[in-house]
Amino acid sequence: MLRYELKKILAGKGNRIALFLLVVFWGVSCYCAVTDIDVNFTDGQGKSGYGYFAAQKLREAQKAWMGPLTEETVAAVIEKNARIIATPEYNADDAARSNIAYGWMQDYRDIRNIINCAFCEFRTYDYYRINSLTPADAADFYPNRLAALKTWLDTEAKDLYSDEEKAFFIDHYENMKTPLYYTWKQGWESLLEHAAMPQMFLVLTLSFVAAGLFAGEFSNRADAVFFTACHGRGKAIKAKIGAGVLFVTGAYWIVWGAYSLFVLGTLGADGASCMIQTGLGGWKSFYNISYGQLYLLASFGGYAGALFFLFLTMLVSAWSRSATVAVTVPFVLIFLPSVLDNLGSDWMSKLTGLLPDQLFQMDLAVRYFNLYCVGGRLMGALPILFTVYTALALLCLPVCYRVFRRAGIGR
Amino acid sequence: MELRLEHVTKRFLDLTAVSDVSTVLDNGVYGLLGVNGAGKTTLMRMLCTLIRPTAGRILWEGEDIFEMNMRYRKLLGYLPQDFGFYPDFCAQDYLMYIASIKGLRPAVAKARVEELLHRVGLYQVRQKKMKKFSGGMKRRVGIAQAVLNDPKLLILDEPTSGLDPKERIRFRNLIGELSQDRIVLLSTHIVSDVANVAKGIFLMKDGKICHEGSMEKILREAPVKVWCCRVSGKEADACLNRYQVANFKTDDQGCELRILSEEKPTADAIEETPTLEDVFLYYFGEKAGNEDAAL
Repeated sequence: MLRYELKKILAGKGNRIALFLLVVFWGVSCYCAVTDIDVNFTDGQGKSGYGYFAAQKLREAQKAWMGPLTEETVAAVIEKNARIIATPEYNADDAARSNIAYGWMQDYRDIRNIINCAFCEFRTYDYYRINSLTPADAADFYPNRLAALKTWLDTEAKDLYSDEEKAFFIDHYENMKTPLYYTWKQGWESLLEHAAMPQMFLVLTLSFVAAGLFAGEFSNRADAVFFTACHGRGKAIKAKIGAGVLFVTGAYWIVWGAYSLFVLGTLGADGASCMIQTGLGGWKSFYNISYGQLYLLASFGGYAGALFFLFLTMLVSAWSRSATVAVTVPFVLIFLPSVLDNLGSDWMSKLTGLLPDQLFQMDLAVRYFNLYCVGGRLMGALPILFTVYTALALLCLPVCYRVFRRAGIGR
Repeated sequence: MELRLEHVTKRFLDLTAVSDVSTVLDNGVYGLLGVNGAGKTTLMRMLCTLIRPTAGRILWEGEDIFEMNMRYRKLLGYLPQDFGFYPDFCAQDYLMYIASIKGLRPAVAKARVEELLHRVGLYQVRQKKMKKFSGGMKRRVGIAQAVLNDPKLLILDEPTSGLDPKERIRFRNLIGELSQDRIVLLSTHIVSDVANVAKGIFLMKDGKICHEGSMEKILREAPVKVWCCRVSGKEADACLNRYQVANFKTDDQGCELRILSEEKPTADAIEETPTLEDVFLYYFGEKAGNEDAAL
């Protein structure tokens, strides 16, 4: 039964087109990740390149700074930067010459980014901030992170959080172990930054498959034979659900695994134990986790998201008996947050932080300063997202079974 | 083996599709005849547990079929009027899939599917996608799936609709072969489909079974006489207005009419033995022969 249900999925022309599109989108996602702006390498003549070879050269160049990101290292970076900005190449109006100077800076580019973060106000970023620093400022590198947070909480965000919530943030900031360890991590950074692409494409393309799983019986007018069969209101429905679970699971891990292998294979897999605070996006995060841990969150978050979106699509398909209605569900749920975000209120930001699309954007989710109180305990969005949507996804299956079973007997 | 219907009624909002039907069926082929909207499909869908009666009971060997649930469906074979399938499946895969949901073990299913593909003449094209099949071929697959589990109750809703004469003859022969040791209920609005094979006939009108019994009984009880006469073209028009005309044939000498009437329509009219088609026309009048609806 299960075998034929899977065969039904794979035999359909529409489903084959969806799978073909999935492969295309996978390729696009991989291309975008490995040609990320941060993976460019500028040579001695000021010419830039992207991809595998650029990554190799960049890694080689950045090797000099690998290790604990101590006060001395930060001072050395500031010092080197001061030397470069004093060169005629850096100050040249000619783009080619200025690119040469940029090439000299790329070995400490990552560290420069977080130095800029550390010496700017909490909600601002100034790319040239490092230029006005002296090696003596390096001593404030880590303390500034906490100080900027405290200042922000006492001023701009004064009324946004309760005292307990403010204490929660400060506590997490203080718990970050210093000095951070810096190493090449571009593979993980690019992979995670573009993770939403393959995951969302997967959900959107597979939603066409999931939408037809139950509704297909009605649109093909095969429901009468199906429901009058001995197992038509029992095992056969379970086989359908089983096929859905297997298909979604298989497709997700194949696509995500292939994407991860391709990106890490191209850009390098080192840096899994590096803390996300060593990156521009993660510097302010209150989640004290490594890139490897964030990757696991993104992997299982994406899986939970795919299960939720596609099981919900299956449920709507069984309930509405229409693939067209069912297929709109993931589209609406994925694009709705961007509409709500435009409303711009803090309350709305808190709400959108809990919408299921966040499961595909772990890289962003760890940067948000949203706190929720559950059972008297304060927590970020991640534990809630994982618990709620995994539970809802699993709940969809028995409901789907009951709804489709009922569809077999008209009243 | 006994299928008993007790005061079965089905209402859809303000429409009564099936009204107080009571009857008993045992081994053999039964024809359910009726026109468009008579309630045949609704009745059959209730017999297949696809819809529940609003009132009344349907019993198999004394047990309510809805309570029997899976045990009843194990005995059931059904070919719906609008037989649907999976267009990208080949005939063999389709039948293997249906065999699996009918609970046949794979080894048994394989042998049974092969046997039935031979029997319905589709073995040579078993690997061809069903969307490429002709209407008749699809219908044959439909019949094969209905009998896959060797059902004790076989329900065929308009099985010959859309078939050409050759396919219909093939189908009638197949029904004859399948009719042993089971109840076959066959709905149609094509009288000749059941005239020669049915043990019992139900005439259904406005949701009720208005007449039932063997063909002989129905013919005997029909209060109608059949006349054959030859008239001129002008007289033929008058007859058409005045009588129910079962057949109208024109040739060089004028028109030959088959008329249903209590009285002798013309002086030289000759009385003939009524056929089931005549009786069907008599009871259902001008509606007879319309395309059936899915009511």
